[in-house]
Amino acid sequence: MAQERSMAVTEFLSKAELIKQGAEARVYRTEFLGKPTIVKERFPKRYRHPALDEKLTHRRTVQEVRSILRCRKAGISTPVVYFVDYTSHCIFLEEIVGSVTVRDHIASAQQSGSRTESELEQLADRVGMILGRMHDEDVIHGDLTTSNMLLKRGPEDGEDELVLIDFGLSYNSALPEDKGVDLYVLEKAFLSTHPNTESLFEKLLKSYAASSKKSAAVVKKLDEVRLRGRKRSMVG
Amino acid sequence: MHLTHDLELFPDHRVTQLLFKDVKNAAELRQCAMKGEVNGALINPTMLVNPFQVLVAANKAVHLQTIGKMKTRSLYSEIIFNLSPTNKISEAFKRFGISDGDESVMVVLVHNKDEPQPLSDIIARVKGQQVAVEDVSSLSNNTKIQKLYKVTPQEERCGTLLDAVVCRMATKDVV
Repeated sequence: MAQERSMAVTEFLSKAELIKQGAEARVYRTEFLGKPTIVKERFPKRYRHPALDEKLTHRRTVQEVRSILRCRKAGISTPVVYFVDYTSHCIFLEEIVGSVTVRDHIASAQQSGSRTESELEQLADRVGMILGRMHDEDVIHGDLTTSNMLLKRGPEDGEDELVLIDFGLSYNSALPEDKGVDLYVLEKAFLSTHPNTESLFEKLLKSYAASSKKSAAVVKKLDEVRLRGRKRSMVG
Repeated sequence: MHLTHDLELFPDHRVTQLLFKDVKNAAELRQCAMKGEVNGALINPTMLVNPFQVLVAANKAVHLQTIGKMKTRSLYSEIIFNLSPTNKISEAFKRFGISDGDESVMVVLVHNKDEPQPLSDIIARVKGQQVAVEDVSSLSNNTKIQKLYKVTPQEERCGTLLDAVVCRMATKDVV
């Protein structure tokens, strides 16, 4: 019976295009119910105890799906969930066609230098605003990096849309500490991936502070967490 | 006119949708459905935004049937239940199933793609005018849909009504 459960999806995925294999999940691209779809498959981890693996994988799947809906309700752009198979832990999501990760966008902008500083600043502004809104909803993303933010090409003269993805490590929390850590994770990822962008991140934080109603406590915690962080020299 | 789609996950299953307006015998159809004489799901199209919504519900229903975890007693009642944003079965039937005074009806069939479907049977049974399934949005009551699915105004800025509806349908069991 347990075998039969995943068969349909497993069979289907064998014909789909695998676009990424991570430690946690495999990501496929395919067509589902007539729409371009991304399937995120959290495969079983043999190195874990099976009971724990099932519990953890199920929880991550559920958290991801819940957080996506919470964000959407708050007006934060995320892919639409089409279908969830809890037996094989697969999430069928809307494929954001014609998008680039913010990571690639910044990287290419820095490389070609064709994009003005102000354009990247505008982007940082918008990211800060969206994160402010997300934290106001008490949603902690858990894995904030520029690879988990997509820029979707908008209509001709319309604005590109910022879409947040990968809510697998997300959870609910009102604590400024958790939000501070969320931002810290982003800061670390941001500065290590995109060299010489300290001022850009500052802009992001400014925008975050302006748009989030509870930001003061969060920024304070962020400063504390920075002091705590790894590889801090304790030399007076 | 009618719309068919083969479920990608269940290749033998084909979903056919037929839409009728100016229906005069909704009460009779409902009675037949209750008695189990209709081999299809009768849905109130004013609650539908797009045929995709039906496909999402049908796909989930077939999936649950395959693993033996349906919440209702039949595939067709499961499709109707899946359309609802809540987990109350009776409420789903009330809102998404057809009522006696309804003037339009969407018939959804799930069948084996190799078996010829007696569509003419169904068409003859419904005393109304068959219209293109794609036109269902012209029958939608967006205000009622927004209200029932509790779609927030911010949500409508970042996506369509269909996005909001489908997302809730897909996630309602864990929210």
